[in-house]
Amino acid sequence: MPRRRIAPLACLGVVSLGVALACARPGRTMRPSHGAPAGQAGAIPPEGAPPLHLSDVAQEGDPARRASMRFVLQGLDADATGSTDLAAGLYQRALQVDPSNPYAYLALGRQRAEGPEPARALPYLEKAQVLFGTQKAETPSVEADLCGLRALALEAAGRSAEAEQQMARAKALAPEIWRDGRLDADELR
Amino acid sequence: MASAIRKTAKQDENRGPGDRRAGSSRLVLLGLLALALGSFVVGAKVGRQLVRLDRMVTQRFDGQRFRVPSRVLSAPTILYPGLDWKNVDLPGALTRLGYQPETGSGPLLPGRYVFGKNKLHVHLRALEHPTRPEPDRDVEISFEESEISEIRDVATGRELGAVLLEPELVGSYYGPDREQRELVRLGEVPRPLIDAILSAEDQRFDEHHGIDPVRIVGAFLANVRHGGVRQGGSTVTEQLAKNFFLTPERTLKRRVRTALLSMIMEARYSKDEILECYLNEIYLGQRGASEVHGVGEASRLYFGKPVRELTVSEAALIAAVIPGPNGISPYKNPERALARRNLVLDLMHEQERIDDATWTAARAEPLHLSAVTPESSDARYFLDTLRRQLPEVYDNEGLTSEGLKIYSTLDLRLQRIAATALRDGLAALEKHFPKLRAESPDKQLEGCLIALRPQTGEVLALVGGRGYAVSQFDRCVQAKRQMGSTFKPFVYIAGLEPENGRPVITLASTLEDEPLSIPTPSGPWTPVNYDHQFHGVVSVRDALEHSRNVPTARLAQEVGIERIAELAQRLGIESPLPLVPSLALGVADVAPIEVARAYATIANGGIRPEIRTFEDVVDPQAHTLARREIEFQPVLDAGTSYLATSLMEGVVERGTAVSVRSAGLLGPIAGKTGTTDSGRDAWFVGFTPELLVVVWVGFDEPRNTPLTGASGALPIWIRFMKEATGGRIRGDFLPPPEVITLDIDPTSGAIAMAGCPQRKSEVFLLGTLPARECPEGAMIERTAQPPEPERPAAAPTREAKPHHRGFVDWLRRVF
Repeated sequence: MPRRRIAPLACLGVVSLGVALACARPGRTMRPSHGAPAGQAGAIPPEGAPPLHLSDVAQEGDPARRASMRFVLQGLDADATGSTDLAAGLYQRALQVDPSNPYAYLALGRQRAEGPEPARALPYLEKAQVLFGTQKAETPSVEADLCGLRALALEAAGRSAEAEQQMARAKALAPEIWRDGRLDADELR
Repeated sequence: MASAIRKTAKQDENRGPGDRRAGSSRLVLLGLLALALGSFVVGAKVGRQLVRLDRMVTQRFDGQRFRVPSRVLSAPTILYPGLDWKNVDLPGALTRLGYQPETGSGPLLPGRYVFGKNKLHVHLRALEHPTRPEPDRDVEISFEESEISEIRDVATGRELGAVLLEPELVGSYYGPDREQRELVRLGEVPRPLIDAILSAEDQRFDEHHGIDPVRIVGAFLANVRHGGVRQGGSTVTEQLAKNFFLTPERTLKRRVRTALLSMIMEARYSKDEILECYLNEIYLGQRGASEVHGVGEASRLYFGKPVRELTVSEAALIAAVIPGPNGISPYKNPERALARRNLVLDLMHEQERIDDATWTAARAEPLHLSAVTPESSDARYFLDTLRRQLPEVYDNEGLTSEGLKIYSTLDLRLQRIAATALRDGLAALEKHFPKLRAESPDKQLEGCLIALRPQTGEVLALVGGRGYAVSQFDRCVQAKRQMGSTFKPFVYIAGLEPENGRPVITLASTLEDEPLSIPTPSGPWTPVNYDHQFHGVVSVRDALEHSRNVPTARLAQEVGIERIAELAQRLGIESPLPLVPSLALGVADVAPIEVARAYATIANGGIRPEIRTFEDVVDPQAHTLARREIEFQPVLDAGTSYLATSLMEGVVERGTAVSVRSAGLLGPIAGKTGTTDSGRDAWFVGFTPELLVVVWVGFDEPRNTPLTGASGALPIWIRFMKEATGGRIRGDFLPPPEVITLDIDPTSGAIAMAGCPQRKSEVFLLGTLPARECPEGAMIERTAQPPEPERPAAAPTREAKPHHRGFVDWLRRVF
């Protein structure tokens, strides 16, 4: 009887914690996640989570975060045109203004995962993961991108089994974005 | 001998007139021969000299013409809506960067600004960077009180999210000559500056071949006519020859050599090459102890802007100071400099290099000088640290001569605050504790301060000692000092970090503060507390907040010294750590920068950043030679990092660093004090979500002091933070999802259910929740440890509500 009474509360707790933990680290068991914006749990539509566009979150947060997001978006523009040095510099500027901006780490992780040394993306993705978690900003779209990028990095690091698992998760969460197994800067803008 | 002389005289007497004529001819012949020989010898000598001079000229011109010291630039200041413009000292930054105030409205030239009511109209200069260039921008910045409310592009009317002020000069790596020079190409030099210099120094530059007899006579007559030195006799080529190749003495020999060198230069090189060399070589003033050479650097010195932006009157002033940069210095003798500038303008006008209108307008302009910004010695320790971090290819010779630009991570505003906080803080300590005063400056009380951005490892400020002039020993980087109690958090983190899923302690655990004796090879070690008292059973929080030695040593024994040392090294300590029981209390000798890095790992959610002092090294041709990117490594789980941060927040709220709050610093702050035996080292390491600062105080040759971390280092930390943050600390220490907050009974550490007589919130890693509940039982949970000795259980006052118990059960099952 008591167990039945706490069931709704328990469900809410497990779902919101589950979203954050599901993709927390390589090797951790992946659980199906039910996502909604801004870290709130909810059902993923059959076509998958909507793509993460950083321009959608550019106006959120305090002034420092908004200024930081401008640099991130400029960096993605630069990345999209192949100016990777310029992009990396802009992401650094973003972190100078707001060192806790998870989107800046995500963009840096994306740049490395898609670059010549994908394995170097892992620490950036880990950092982004921690920040999304603490800021309760992890959504299924964020999770999909983190998993997909981590898959690229793990594959390059020779950890194929984990990579496969992560990519499967990314494709399940956001099939539209991860169908081709990569995330272009354009897709993140 | 005497007979021989007589014989010769007799022979002469016997000679006739014909013989005498033949003798004269021989003499003439001999004379001619001697003359020819003499001429040959002199000619050979002159020839050899000419060859030598020619070699000198070609070697200098064809090789590296100038030693250009490499410059270190600060991180740029980023302006954005919401920023406290007073806190970042926007007006000061504009002045230091050489921006000049204007009045009125309308478009501005780059480098000019108008400060109005609640508004700043400024034409920002372009930021020249190989990969991150910024265009020059005419912007209007609106303020609401101390905050920037809006930034708008004047030309387009578009709102801008953020704009950058160009980096400031942190310092330069000089060769022995201490010459500052910014090389310019002839094409970059505005025509008015060339005209001004040639009008005053060498009117017939395009016509002569190195020396100009017309000018010498003309200068002589002009000087006589004006009753003073109005013109010099040397051509530009001769001045270059003197400066390039010769010493300053005034001798005939030197004058001849100057003339020869000038003619050789003119024969070998074009007028443009000679003029470009001259424009970069000429001595034009002083910036502190450094000599300013060349028009590029002079433009920065006097007007704070690149040479291409010089106006006619500014160009005339630079030309005006050439004969005597110190005597005609516009800073020391503005009236004399103004008169001389106008004289140059008159010459330009007389020589029809400027028209009437320009001449009149330029003459009417006052001296618009930039504030003198001598290189601060505050950042010298940082420059040394940066030099050590550069790749080995950048040796001393390269750094002092190749004119590299090094874009550093330094925040010059924080650096200035740090230097002042340390200097004033140490002086205040000496005033309060007169025993700390030393007679000799090289034996005085010392200290160091490092400020890092924990997320990225960027060094924002670094002051390695009280005065670089007295001692270049960098106590932040080169000193190895005992950590004292600043080591203790590593003991607690090792205890909190789950191993095989279970930690040794949780924050609900308690520790015994009772006499302790640990056998060691050198006899039993019996730690005591700072207050020489024992406090019975204390909570983990209380033990760290009040820096209790005995419970910490006891915990270290439970955790294992090897594990603690391994954790400290994982976090960022690089120095070898002695595997002895007293390691728990910080007997390890480490550099303050290592401490900064290890604490930055904690502040950064368990991700260890690499320390960075620079971003890019760029050569004069704007090629990036080296780049240091943000690098970090996850080494500790975010949950355990958060627990450690939470513990250290308690140190500031209730523990040994509570004076942070009484000083008026509010917001999220965590930290730890540290004191070693007899006050030989006083530490404070404190951090906010975005800034980590380490302060160490002590003597270079360790000696006893009355200082503690709280009384010695913490006041300096507070001085720095108050000024640096302006009392506004951004962000929060946010728990990661794997951390849960629950109410516990503070006495027993049991989960507080309804009816528990006392409760407080505590944070736990999922999976490490206390096994007991209050009021049902008061057994203290010691995860993975034998049960604590039985203590009186808290009497249950009423039964816990079933659904609460069920929720806790559920949490335990799930996690």
